[in-house]
Amino acid sequence: MKNYWNKIKKIFVFLFLFISPLFVHNSYSDDIKNGEHVIQELIAKTQKHALETIHLSSEERSKKITPIIQQYLNLNFMAKATTGSFWNKATNDEKIKYELALLDQIINTVEEHLNTLATLSYKPIKSEFRGKKLLYITGVIEDKSKIKPPINLLWKLSKGKDEAIKILDLEIEGISLIRSHKSETMSILRKNKGDFNDLIGKLKIKK
Amino acid sequence: MKISYLLSYKTIVLVLFLILSGCSNKNITISEIKDPLENINRKIFHFNRSVDEKVISPISASYKKITPPLTRKAISNHIDWLDTPSTILNSSLQVDFKNSILASAKFLLNGLTLGFYDLDNGETVIKDRDFGSTLAKLNVPEGPFLMVPFIGPRTTRDFTGTILDTNITSNISSQDLNNLKLIEIPIDTIDTRARLSKTIDNIYESADPYIKLRSFYIQNRRNVVYDEKYSDLKNKKADEEFEKLLE
Repeated sequence: MKNYWNKIKKIFVFLFLFISPLFVHNSYSDDIKNGEHVIQELIAKTQKHALETIHLSSEERSKKITPIIQQYLNLNFMAKATTGSFWNKATNDEKIKYELALLDQIINTVEEHLNTLATLSYKPIKSEFRGKKLLYITGVIEDKSKIKPPINLLWKLSKGKDEAIKILDLEIEGISLIRSHKSETMSILRKNKGDFNDLIGKLKIKK
Repeated sequence: MKISYLLSYKTIVLVLFLILSGCSNKNITISEIKDPLENINRKIFHFNRSVDEKVISPISASYKKITPPLTRKAISNHIDWLDTPSTILNSSLQVDFKNSILASAKFLLNGLTLGFYDLDNGETVIKDRDFGSTLAKLNVPEGPFLMVPFIGPRTTRDFTGTILDTNITSNISSQDLNNLKLIEIPIDTIDTRARLSKTIDNIYESADPYIKLRSFYIQNRRNVVYDEKYSDLKNKKADEEFEKLLE
C-alpha cells in the first residue's frame, strides 16, 4: 500500500514538473504576443492619425492624438521614474498635475515627428522577458525611400494592475526617454528643493 | 635622420602598446555624469547656442530647404567617407580587425565616387571608431563632462580623443584628403546641424536644455564606445530600478 502511494506521488511530481512549465511558457508567450500587438497597434494608429490630420493645426493634432498615446503609456510609472525620491514628497494634486505635464511633453515630441512618422515603416526584431515583470521589444524604423538611416528602438513594457500591457520607456538609438527626462527633472527639483509647482511651471513654459 | 628614426620607433611602440593593452573594457561607466565644471559649462553652452541660433541654424535651414534630400544624402555620405581612415586605424588599435577590414574595403570602393555614393548600398554595417573609443577600450576613465566652445559637448576622454584624431589621422592620410577635410569643416557643420535639426530643437524646447543635451550626449557616446556590454549593464541597472517602482 505504501509503495502504491509512493508511485502515485512520483507520478504527480513528474506531471507537475513537466506540465507546469508548459503553462508558464504559454502565459509568457501570450504576454509577448500581447506586448508586440500593443506596439504594432500604437504605431498603426499614430501613422493613421498623422495622415488623417495633416491639414489640422499642431494644437488640434496634439489634442486628437492625446487619448491614443495615453492609452498605451503607464503614465504613473513614468512620473515616478522621472522624479526619483521627490515623488513621495509630492502632494496628490502635484502628482496629478505633473503626470499631465509629462504627458503634454510626450505628446509635444510625438506631434513634432508626426509627418516623419507617417513615411516610415516599423519592423519588430526581438521580444524577451526580463526579470519578473518586464518585457523588452526591439524593433527598427526604416525610411521607405532609404534616404534616412534606420533607427533602432527598444520598448520597455510591463503588465499593469488592470492586466493591460503598457509602455514604461522607449529607447531611441540607445537613448532612454525616461533617463533623459529624469536627469532634467531631478536637476530642477534639486535646485528648487522639491517644488513640484515650479517644475510643472517650467515644463509648461517651454511648450 | 636620427629624430625621424626615433619618431617612427615611438609610433611603433605606441601602436604596439595600444594593441597589447588588450582592449578589455573593464571600466564601463554606467554611473551618474561627473560635471564639476557645470557653471562654466553652462556659460559655454549659452555661447554655443547663440552662435548656433544666429549663424549655423539659419544657414542649415536654408541648406535643407534648397538642397534635395538625395543631394543631402550624398554630401552626408561623402563626409562620413572622409572620416573612415580614423575608423580603420582605431578599429585596428581596438583589435577589431573585422571592422577595420570592412571599413578599408568600403573606403576603397566608395573612393571611386569620392564617397558621394554608397556603392555598397548600406549592406555593410561599419561601427564608427575614433580615438575617444580607443582610449575607453584602454580603460582610460571617462572624466568630467566638458562643453567646448564651437565644438559642443565632450567628456575629457573624448576631447583628448578628438585632438589625437585630428593629429594622428592627418599624419596617416594623404595631403589631398587632409586638405579636403579642412575645406569641408563648414559643410560638415551645416550638414550635421541639418541632420540633427529636430533633436536640437527638442533640446532647446526642454525645461533645462543644458541638462538634456548632456544626457543625450553621454547616453549616445557610452552606447557608441562600449557597444553591447554597456547596453547589458545599463539595462540590468534599469531593470532593478523599474522592478522596484512596479512593486
